Amino acid sequence: MAEPEKAGVVEKAPLYWRRTLWVNLLRAGIVGGFFLLWEVASGRWIEPFIISSPSRIWASLLDNLQSGSLIEHTLVTFKEIGIGFPLGALSGVAMGYWFGRSRTLAEVFEPIIIALYGVPRTALAPLFIVWLGIGIWSKVGVVFLLTFFLNFFNTYAGMKQMDQEYVDLARLMGARGWKLTFRVILPAVSPYILTGVKTSIPFSVIGAIVGEFIAATEGIGFFIRLSAGVFRTADVFVGIIVLMLLVILMNKIADLIERRVLAWQVQTEHVRIQG
Amino acid sequence: MSESRNGQVIEVERVSKIFQTPKQGRVPALEEVTFDVPYGEFVTVVGPSGCGKSTLIKLIAGLIPFSSGRILYQGIEVRGLNTKVGYVPQESKLFPWLTLEENVAFGLDPRRYSRRERESRVQHFIKLAGLIGFERHYPSQLSGGMAKRASIIRSLVYDPAVILMDEPFGPLDAQTRMILQDELLKIWEQKRQTILFVTHDLVEAVALADRVIIMSHRPGRITDIMKVPMSRPRNIFEIHRQPGFDEAYGRLWNIFRHELKIQAGQESLSTA
Repeated sequence: MAEPEKAGVVEKAPLYWRRTLWVNLLRAGIVGGFFLLWEVASGRWIEPFIISSPSRIWASLLDNLQSGSLIEHTLVTFKEIGIGFPLGALSGVAMGYWFGRSRTLAEVFEPIIIALYGVPRTALAPLFIVWLGIGIWSKVGVVFLLTFFLNFFNTYAGMKQMDQEYVDLARLMGARGWKLTFRVILPAVSPYILTGVKTSIPFSVIGAIVGEFIAATEGIGFFIRLSAGVFRTADVFVGIIVLMLLVILMNKIADLIERRVLAWQVQTEHVRIQG
Repeated sequence: MSESRNGQVIEVERVSKIFQTPKQGRVPALEEVTFDVPYGEFVTVVGPSGCGKSTLIKLIAGLIPFSSGRILYQGIEVRGLNTKVGYVPQESKLFPWLTLEENVAFGLDPRRYSRRERESRVQHFIKLAGLIGFERHYPSQLSGGMAKRASIIRSLVYDPAVILMDEPFGPLDAQTRMILQDELLKIWEQKRQTILFVTHDLVEAVALADRVIIMSHRPGRITDIMKVPMSRPRNIFEIHRQPGFDEAYGRLWNIFRHELKIQAGQESLSTA
């Protein structure tokens, strides 16, 4: 009993950090190689105004930061997402929860929601501009719409597959109302809710940018469109980098929340299909 | 606790249950089931799988409505959820998002028990079940036997008059099963709550019970109700040597043999 266990530990410990190092080195090599190739290609094989170059993008990033305009644009986009995303996620989860609890509600509204879901939501963005003007609120609307559906569908799917026995047991033990909702039902569907929240993060950014592309006077989407219009390709890439950072930041926050909320879940190892 | 006029905590009167299924239409699960359980008795319900014994327990808990008949719990008719029972399901079904401690405390109503009382009760039962040191563990970190213990004390902790157990030891291995049967009896000896315990295991049915209710194949009917005249406390590990066991087990097996239409001496042939 004791021997194979011991052997396993001895074998695994040194391998683990070596593997991590390997993975990181490989990744750095690939990314570094790509940038090097880009830098070399720009100006030699391809016109810089088409693909720019890492050094130009870096210079442009510093420029835009110094002038303060980049920060202003970023804050505007951040605000649109900061309002639209939580509102969309919360109402999506709430709606999914209510659909899961009320059969009548689900039966009446499900076809309507699915029909609405079939409409490409970015196609509604111009309508939002008409309704809410070219300020931030039209973009908040688009972000809300994109976030809402993903959260709604995920939460509702979670509610539909929930184990009836947990609810029965909780009710037998006297749980009702608040306690039943927050101590039993929502934790039971929390893996689904978090999947919804995480998949809707990039979509919320898409919503804000699409809104800004159509009509805006500020925001990262506006900045990108403006820069592309005058072939300032480096600035376009700066805008894209800011968006990437935004998504990474939101994902990190979501990961932190997930780790706290889903601490009870068993962490599974990477699935092995071959070897 | 308002005791009913004749000291019965559960009175089941001619209860039938018919399931409506889309494919097979009306499927009768229970037919005219009648029995009483007095306070403090340990009753096991035994029958072949699919005889509706789990359904019976769910009816008493008020989890599913019955088709006809009447169930009285502490003298009051069961209509809708019966929140006065403790319920131990087949699988442990601890809430995976709560720690062991939080799971055990779940049924303790803060309006009825002070914070200190809740803590001391939880601690008492965790100790009783030998789970000290695992209070902060999540169910995914517990073994099957530990989860089962936790599931049982979760139903005991708020002192329900009756605990309904639905084949709680079914999925466990033989050793763990025996240990848990022993622990269950020891815990039960302290307070002697009423327990209605469903099982398909004849040895378990006899070893634990004061009375065994024997049910037939679907639709479930009560074939017989048998007293187990064995003294307590019982030694689960050597239950076969205890006076009265052989006789009770023999009688139970006879009833079953009849039910399964197995001739004496042909058991091995028919079961192989």
